[in-house]
Amino acid sequence: MAKQFKSLHPTKFYRDYLNQDIRPDGRLVSKFRPVIINIGSIATADGSALVRIGKTTVICGIKAELCPPKPEKPNEGFLICNVELPPLCSSKFRPGPPSDLAQITTRFVADLILNSGCINLKDLCIVKEKLVWCLYADIICLDHDGCIIDACLLVLLTALKTVRLPVVQYDAAIDKKTIDASVKKCLNIYNTPVSTTYAMFEDKIITDPTTEEEEISSGLLTVVVKDKELCSIHKPGGSPLSEEKLYECINETVNHADLLITLINTAVSECNDDNKNC
Amino acid sequence: MPENIGEFVFPGDVVRDLKVVNGVILRGPGLHSHEEPNCLLVTRAGKLCFKPPNVYWVEGHFKRYYPKKGDLVVGIIKKSGNVCKVDIGSSEVASLSLLSFEGATKKQKPDLQVGDVVYAKLLSAHREMEPELVCVDSYYKAGKLGPLSNDGFVMNVSLNFVNRILDVNSLLLRALGQKYVFEIAVGMNGKVWINGQRTIDVLNLMNALLAAERESNSNIVNVCRRYLT
Amino acid sequence: MEVESNVNLSMREVNCKLGMFTRPDGSVFISQGETAVIVGIYGPIEVKPHKILINKASVETHYCPKSGMPGIADKLCESILHNVCEAALASALYPRSSIVIIIQEMQNCGGIIPCAINACCLALLNAGTDMKFLFASASCGLDDEGNFHLDPDDLFLETAAASFIFVFDSIGKGLIASHTSGSFNLAQYQSALELCKKAAEGIFDFYKSTIKKDLKDKI
Repeated sequence: MAKQFKSLHPTKFYRDYLNQDIRPDGRLVSKFRPVIINIGSIATADGSALVRIGKTTVICGIKAELCPPKPEKPNEGFLICNVELPPLCSSKFRPGPPSDLAQITTRFVADLILNSGCINLKDLCIVKEKLVWCLYADIICLDHDGCIIDACLLVLLTALKTVRLPVVQYDAAIDKKTIDASVKKCLNIYNTPVSTTYAMFEDKIITDPTTEEEEISSGLLTVVVKDKELCSIHKPGGSPLSEEKLYECINETVNHADLLITLINTAVSECNDDNKNC
Repeated sequence: MPENIGEFVFPGDVVRDLKVVNGVILRGPGLHSHEEPNCLLVTRAGKLCFKPPNVYWVEGHFKRYYPKKGDLVVGIIKKSGNVCKVDIGSSEVASLSLLSFEGATKKQKPDLQVGDVVYAKLLSAHREMEPELVCVDSYYKAGKLGPLSNDGFVMNVSLNFVNRILDVNSLLLRALGQKYVFEIAVGMNGKVWINGQRTIDVLNLMNALLAAERESNSNIVNVCRRYLT
Repeated sequence: MEVESNVNLSMREVNCKLGMFTRPDGSVFISQGETAVIVGIYGPIEVKPHKILINKASVETHYCPKSGMPGIADKLCESILHNVCEAALASALYPRSSIVIIIQEMQNCGGIIPCAINACCLALLNAGTDMKFLFASASCGLDDEGNFHLDPDDLFLETAAASFIFVFDSIGKGLIASHTSGSFNLAQYQSALELCKKAAEGIFDFYKSTIKKDLKDKI
């Protein structure tokens, strides 16, 4: 019966659940889904990670290339993010050019990385005006079940922390690059921005919503924090929200962020230990 | 009685203390039901108007027509056939059966081509369904309804100007009628069809109407006079 | 606390012109300082079959940059505009139809998003499309010394530590949308929110006086 009821009256179905302070997947209203981080899943990439938040799965590979810098910023490298939402991850997406959501997520994640200052593009410079690193970060969603921004940001940060770049010697006189692959250096990551998403459903705030919950909700809110500081509070429209509820969400994110950062650091340090052993 | 009759209201405002007759409030465009009793929610910007005993509406300057049952409208045929599709300016084209003309039978139907203009009445208008037009009244008589001559000219005006033209106290049509002999069909959908004896007359009438649209009621006759000389 | 005199509390001059186009149901030209946009509204009009919604009108927003095709940044702006307008429109009144909102950027000297949002609200009022509430947007910037600057232009934004864009509704003054860049702390966010809320009040008054002036002769 529940299945028929759900497809006929999706909103009422959720309302009945939420009135009992529980969600259809068994979570409490303010409970996060489990997060799994896997590192180094793509051996051919210079840095890679896979993240699962509940059923949402995203994978990120970072490829480094050498290129000349832009003349107006001669000592800065590049970090180019691209979020792909292929038809594989959800029936919502069709083959063809990137959907609006993919473009918006790409832009939002790229803005966040720039705004938070978690990496300094000057670190990617090898020889001023001549040679810099260009990092291509491709984020591909394998399973879309809500909170895509959170997953993308988490996977990108983790992947960035696993990037190992070889040492490059450059002789400007004869334009010769010597790559020493035996010595690899980490990238400096100055801080770790992490985000959580909330959905508004009538007068309730649902933490870490799934796709179904996102669809019936009247609006989303994404809070990004880094080291106890706020990085972005993104609410792209939807129903009006009172300030008290907004501040509650921010506090909740700050508390949850510690957990996520510990998780990233544990994953990355384990990976480093493995490297040393071999 | 609400205090703000005749004042400007904006979307989101709530009009309170409405007059109820037998538990009924008649609300026009721009007002919607509100949770509290005797209250209405404003959804459009304009002047709040009241007509005794219990009719309320918001008067503003709107161009987009929304079909209402019983409205007399001017429409343009978009697709001919046994059931014509007629553009009445709403979000959906209206349907007009060729059998719903006075005296029409299966063998003898009016000949309507794409681009012809009809003056018709809305038989049904529901937001879930296509609006339906007829060219007869409830006694199967045409009256003033039916196809309009192709010599005429159709122009678009705003919806509140239609009400001003049709107002019994309005001097506009009377002033124009002193100078020209003309036929006019004013549709509630903002489409106005005019036909005069000469083309120049029609053009003058059109300009007079366009100019009058921007003027207040008191000034309207002066404006028309400019086009009458 | 900052010194009060350092806080720039005045907005750039806002000018607007209503209904200058004859074809759209509602149109507005609005300039906020040097930034200017034109918004046109069509609706409710016939809907394309693949966008049809049986319980409400589908709201389409098209953001056209000054030149060229819309880029990724324009899509983000478009999505905010779309979500804000969709929240405010009483779209359940027009099932199986669409409301089309076209935003043409004329000049961007900082603060194009708030300017476009305010233009959308005025254009919707001009068109007489049914709305549940009005909405107004204000932005503010934060410099390196922690001073707030209301309605910053592009010169200020280049050096700003953070910038905030807020959209408020007219009934409960609740937060409809929030978009930020740069990093900041909670106290700074709260003061920015308060500052913009005050500015939004001014914009609501501006809407009302503009519409009154516009309708005075017409009805």
